[in-house]
Amino acid sequence: MSPRTVVVLGASGVGCRFALAANAAGHRVTLVDEHPQALKDMSIDAPYFYGAGLPAALNNANAIAQSFLEANPELMECLESGIDVRLSTILWGAFRNGENSIHIGTPKAGLVSREGNELLDHDVLVIASGVRDFVPSFLGWELPGVFGAKAGLALLDYYGVFEGERVLILGTSDIALRLMRSLRSKQITVAGVVEPGSSIAAGPEAAAWIEGEGIPVHFGKVIASAKGKVAVEGARLVTLDGTGSEEIACDSIAVAVATLPNVELPAAMGCGMRFSTELASWVPEVSIQGETSVDDVFYLAPKADEAMIEAMLARISGAARAEWQPSSLTLADASSYIQQWIKSLHQTGGPDVIMCQCESVTRGEFCHLEPPKYLGQGMRTSQTPTNQTDNPHAPRLDQDLVKRMTRVGMGHCQGKRCRDEAAFTLVQRFGIDAEDIRPGSYRFPLRPVDLSLIADDDETDDIRLNWQMWPYETRNA
Amino acid sequence: MQNYDLIVVGAGILGLATAYQARKAGAKVVVLDKGATAYEASSRATGYLSLRGETPEESPLAQMAEKLWDGLDEELGYPTEWTQRGRIWAAVNERELAELKELYQSFEKTDIAFEFVDGQALRKMIPSLTDSCLGGIHTPRSGHANPQRTSQAFAWAFTDLGGEIREYTPVLEVLATGGRVKGVKTPYGEIHAPRVALCAAAHNTLLLAPFGILFPLAPVRLEALVTTPMPPLFDQCFIGNGLSVRQTKRGNLHMNGGPYEWIDLEIDKESPKPTTPIVRNILRRAIETIPLLKGAQFLRSWAGIVDMAPDQMTTIHLFDNPEGLLTVAASGHGFGMAPAVGVAMADLALKGATSLPIEHLSLNRFRHITSDWREKRRWHAGQYNT
Ligand SMILES: Cc1cc2nc3c(=O)[nH]c(=O)nc-3n(C[C@H](O)[C@H](O)[C@H](O)COP(=O)(O)OP(=O)(O)OC[C@H]3O[C@@H](n4cnc5c(N)ncnc54)[C@H](O)[C@@H]3O)c2cc1C
Repeated sequence: MSPRTVVVLGASGVGCRFALAANAAGHRVTLVDEHPQALKDMSIDAPYFYGAGLPAALNNANAIAQSFLEANPELMECLESGIDVRLSTILWGAFRNGENSIHIGTPKAGLVSREGNELLDHDVLVIASGVRDFVPSFLGWELPGVFGAKAGLALLDYYGVFEGERVLILGTSDIALRLMRSLRSKQITVAGVVEPGSSIAAGPEAAAWIEGEGIPVHFGKVIASAKGKVAVEGARLVTLDGTGSEEIACDSIAVAVATLPNVELPAAMGCGMRFSTELASWVPEVSIQGETSVDDVFYLAPKADEAMIEAMLARISGAARAEWQPSSLTLADASSYIQQWIKSLHQTGGPDVIMCQCESVTRGEFCHLEPPKYLGQGMRTSQTPTNQTDNPHAPRLDQDLVKRMTRVGMGHCQGKRCRDEAAFTLVQRFGIDAEDIRPGSYRFPLRPVDLSLIADDDETDDIRLNWQMWPYETRNA
Repeated sequence: MQNYDLIVVGAGILGLATAYQARKAGAKVVVLDKGATAYEASSRATGYLSLRGETPEESPLAQMAEKLWDGLDEELGYPTEWTQRGRIWAAVNERELAELKELYQSFEKTDIAFEFVDGQALRKMIPSLTDSCLGGIHTPRSGHANPQRTSQAFAWAFTDLGGEIREYTPVLEVLATGGRVKGVKTPYGEIHAPRVALCAAAHNTLLLAPFGILFPLAPVRLEALVTTPMPPLFDQCFIGNGLSVRQTKRGNLHMNGGPYEWIDLEIDKESPKPTTPIVRNILRRAIETIPLLKGAQFLRSWAGIVDMAPDQMTTIHLFDNPEGLLTVAASGHGFGMAPAVGVAMADLALKGATSLPIEHLSLNRFRHITSDWREKRRWHAGQYNT
């Protein structure tokens, strides 16, 4: 076997395990992860939803880097085994020759860090990009003190800078349980758990643990609003029919409804995608070797097991390409849980809640495809986004259209906060299955990047001198 | 059910403008697209109206377009973000200045008010412009708009009048018998009408080939991007240092430029339009041009396909054979031209003639072109930056 140059994106557990195995097999491995993130990047809420209340202790970059490493023994192992580990580095794009782009040469991964940017040549790309927070909108969700479960876990377990003392939890799925266990292990009070359904989504064992901890559970309710002037001071809950309500005192509201896979890289690279009901997300189609529809681009799902790592490594080391296979993961149905939350929140909260924080667009404005307020102009006739077609395989609705008309998903966070609520809102409002939507497109860069960091500072003469003044220079050719 | 007066192939801005005008004139019109409405060039453009000083044969039509742009929001009933604040084409080095001065001779052949001004004058118009800007062409008229919003405004105005758009319905073939157009064939059956308007950008070439007609169009991939919003910097159309840069109403800087990649298309397939690392060079040039942009963030990038004719001009053509067939394509400036193109195309389709100034834009000007013109020009698929 000839060693290959492998870029692994994502130093989660499975990313690190794969990197170690590939390194041990003799491949040249570079492992890239955006964590620990700069404060400015954390404020964009991708991949974790920190909200507006970032603890001041995060400013101490050295201490943060130290505790991040200490909390990640597998990452330490990667460093010690000689893997080229790039932390606090964003993989903003990946480029390889393909249809209508045949001048890239060797595949390139665009990396950017505080030091600047680099195009890293490689053979194989392994995407182990993990998951992000799903945080649906409610009144006051922009207040400091509202955050997502993954963000909470990062503050608690990676950085050790969690500041909350009384945390209200929204949701009862596995991720909610993980968060509550971490909070309780640090003696932090869980003020209560909110669940629109009538049972604990994570199952009876979890229910017994919650009861044992004496945590109050509010079944049949959702949050109506986060209360507080400059930060969260409490939450108002309502019953689903809107008749009963109660106030809970808390300084933090953790949204722990679900996590969703980070798929922006395979989507933006043009890998074949399918909708997974279990994961409530479009995910790359992969073979049993984890290979996507793009040769030498692999996707390592967050729950991938050792057998998958082995099969992938065999393929990278020269085994023949295997056929497609549908995912064999059997998971809870995240789609219906997410949909239950969105439905309950919208039914109790109404159309006037801001859904897109970057562009200040309400749910109602979004559903009616209204132009942004700064244009100061309305529409002659109200419109719906569903299309007409005779094609049985066509999407029934194009999320990009709604996005470009309303700007929900076009703001500074690149839609990381709102795109999923937006998609499921369209599903509910227009009675379409999620797989019949064309989801909003993902584009490079995968995170917003400072122009001064990404601009090419070693431009070749070839590019410099042959740059075309579109399109006029050619007119007399 | 399927008896229409006019089938429009392509729901880009040229097809939609044609359909809107034809419907407004009372025709029963259906628009077919192989993908979603305005998902190709028409939503990916920078959004300038150029008055075509560089191709004076087109500038009368561009001037017509400008008049229509001024009333377009009201006409269509939806915001287009039209901003009539002029256009600046700047040179940032001596070589560019010399080239621009030469090109300016062509501008002077039109009856449009263009002026050649120095760097200082340009910096007065755009205070954030680099000190190295030496001068350029100023067009006091002309302006820009939001491509997706404008295309959708045409689409909605058309359906508001009872027009029909069928998406994800590729036209595989134009049907004709006895020298007359009969309709089109799609994977879901035939649709019949006595007139068919091909507004399918570079796909026009593929749809016309079976009739032995050569519509010389070369598809080429171009890259574009936007930054995060900045405070108001300028509201003209800006061209310079190899880029087109416009600030949107929201404040984002929207730009495009750089190397071309010539490609081929397939009739019923959405073409991949990958972004490449060239976006880094676009951003470098943006900072060189407007140093303040250092403070912005790179937010989103995409690519789009332009359909280029050998002389880089718009083509509008009504065929005698088959009768009832007409076509349009605009060589990379169809967005600005669209309001006027729509009127001319609807006239041609429904009345067989138009009073709009299109006499220099017919396909006849290419009658001596041979089928290997792309190779000769080095515009064939796979060529880069030629
Ligand atoms: C990056 C970029 C910047 C630009 N900047 C400007 C600018 O500043 N100003 C300007 O005026 N212009 C600009 N342009 C050019 C402008 O976008 C185009 O000239 C204009 O959009 C052309 O419109 P169209 O309707 O002809 O083509 P398109 O918008 O490409 O529409 C053609 C449609 O036909 C459909 N189609 C193709 N084949 C078939 C088939 N067989 N059956 C059914 N449907 C089919 C396609 O799916 C597509 O929707 C720019 C273009 C790009 C890519």
